[in-house]
Amino acid sequence: MNETRIHYHGELEEVRSDLIRLGAMVSETIGRGTAALLDRDLHAAQVLIDGDDVIDDFCLGLEERCYRLLALQSPIAGELRFILTSLRLISELERSADLIVNVCKASRRIYDVEFGPQIRGLIEQMGVEATFLIRAAIDSYVDADTSLASALDDIDDRLDELQVAYVQAIFRSHSEMNLNLQGAVQMAMIGRYYERVGDHAVNIGERVMYMVTGWLPEKSGAARQRLREAEAEAGVEAGNSRAQNDEAGEAARLDSPHEEGSGEVPDGA
Amino acid sequence: MQASSLIIVIAGLFAAAALGYFAARSAPKKQPAGSKNTLSSAGSASQSESDDPQGSGTEDADIMTGAGRAVAQESGSSASDLLERLRDAIEHIEQGVILCDDTGAELFRNQSALRYIEARDGLVLVEAAVEELMIKALTGRSVRREVELFGPPAQSFVVSAQPFTDGAGLGALAIVEDHSLRRRTETVRRDFVANISHELKTPIGALGLLAETIRDEPESEVVARLAERMIVEADRAAHTIDDLLELSRIEFGDETEFDQISVQSVVSEATARIAAAAGHSGIEVVVDLSPQIQVLGDRRQLVSAVFNLLDNAVKYSPEGSEILVTAVVESAESDPQELPLGLGPSGLSTGDRVRLSVADAGIGIPRKDLDRVFERFYRVDRARSRATGGTGLGLAIVRHVVSNHQGNVSVDSIEGVGTTFTLSLAAIQPLQENS
Repeated sequence: MNETRIHYHGELEEVRSDLIRLGAMVSETIGRGTAALLDRDLHAAQVLIDGDDVIDDFCLGLEERCYRLLALQSPIAGELRFILTSLRLISELERSADLIVNVCKASRRIYDVEFGPQIRGLIEQMGVEATFLIRAAIDSYVDADTSLASALDDIDDRLDELQVAYVQAIFRSHSEMNLNLQGAVQMAMIGRYYERVGDHAVNIGERVMYMVTGWLPEKSGAARQRLREAEAEAGVEAGNSRAQNDEAGEAARLDSPHEEGSGEVPDGA
Repeated sequence: MQASSLIIVIAGLFAAAALGYFAARSAPKKQPAGSKNTLSSAGSASQSESDDPQGSGTEDADIMTGAGRAVAQESGSSASDLLERLRDAIEHIEQGVILCDDTGAELFRNQSALRYIEARDGLVLVEAAVEELMIKALTGRSVRREVELFGPPAQSFVVSAQPFTDGAGLGALAIVEDHSLRRRTETVRRDFVANISHELKTPIGALGLLAETIRDEPESEVVARLAERMIVEADRAAHTIDDLLELSRIEFGDETEFDQISVQSVVSEATARIAAAAGHSGIEVVVDLSPQIQVLGDRRQLVSAVFNLLDNAVKYSPEGSEILVTAVVESAESDPQELPLGLGPSGLSTGDRVRLSVADAGIGIPRKDLDRVFERFYRVDRARSRATGGTGLGLAIVRHVVSNHQGNVSVDSIEGVGTTFTLSLAAIQPLQENS
């Protein structure tokens, strides 16, 4: 292997290891953000909000390196899919970190809201599940593990269920007059942020599937849509053809003097 | 000389030898670390960095490089022998040691430091810090950074890097020390001092204040009310001292008497002691266990442990809820790791384990506090504990009791759902009735 190729593969490996670092930064952020929220630690929340700039900067640098690899190395096949997947993962992880920043910002807005033990427990569990999902998503990427990648959607159901239970607990707390409307809305948004982190992990899984197999779940949907369009088009054509036939028949009937019910009134009628 | 300085010296010795060795070779170099993205102070992992003002690492490395040469010459060993010995020594120390040349290309990494590049969790952020500090060290600065990982598990590392030169050129040496245990110990010690002073000084302070007020109070009704408060505070102080004494007795194990006892009788006695408090809150204690289950243990201590678990459960459960006490025998084959204790001189131990659980539907314990609840005077929520009473020693007593019985205690809890404490003790064969 020549020097250029060795260097190229070294760069691919660095992209991979930096994505692992980005995943670790996001996982850490989720745990810290959850703790800041539960402990009402405004300082920790502010540190995380500021720290998001570091993550954004890291993401930009990593993205640029991916673009450079695309431009200079003209990757094909598996290597091309690896770089394209890495680019998608960067944005998914960056967005996940943004969502935790939203949690931190929300924690400032609901500083005076008392959380009951059940709501605290559900927030904690959502944080644990979200962290687990991001870690599992990164594992699937590093190991090119399609089984794990495809399982992420099902694993995410746990987080979805927790979010549903969390929203119900908020409604209960609100109806029992323990939580005002403004606080309840902010709290519900927090649940939504965690749930979205889980969705990003699922997206990562789908992209890993693409990286390994070249297949995307959306392709099934796209294929269905094309089929529907084709059917619709065929239906229109068939309809047009029927209409044309009808028109032709009608014309024939009109043209034919022997046709029953023709518009022509026989003489002497 | 401190341990870390010694490591720097040894590593410096090795580094100098290694630099010379690698400089002599024309092996292809790795991509310089500086070409990569760096994490200057990632908000995701708490990091604090400082310049090492003494720059002692550099000096030490230079000095000892000379000393190392002298040793090598005196003993007649070749440089490669010395290199091998140093490599072996550094391979097996617990600190991570990484060495790079003047381009930032890595020359050496010991076993301990491998885990940072192989990791996929927060440990990779330690590696990021190493790379970054190496680059700074190559500019001639000695730098040091603390990396705090939230985890779980929470971990704490100190990464230091320093430049050094020998005849072969400039290089950088990074050392990673795991301070997690030290940090945890410091936290426990600090909290213990704060908690014990709070628990003991609060009732004493209250007693003093109340006595002063009574002395100047002319109205007998107020005096009577204050006297009642004094009795409550005195009881509280006495209770804490009683618990401390009991904990001390259990800890030293002087009065421990092992007998073959039925778990049911232990649970019955503890349940009877808690019945009044449970009844007061409308809490039902449900016991579900076989009378056949037996352990070899100190009845008084085991009753005390179960009572403390029940007491906790009653305090933190909502009115009208249920506390479930269960005991099952787990076969040794189903959990071979817990095998076999062969407890006591009777030789009755089967190797099986009795798992005695107390489960409540209370407020639960936050995850971050789960591994600390067995510490003396540790409080998850100080404000709430003031309302519920207690000394903060109950779970410490439980831990010491099971420790005396060569068992263990675990806790499983979700906030808002409930908590389950489980004691694992060695099971023994029940005595035959005719024996």
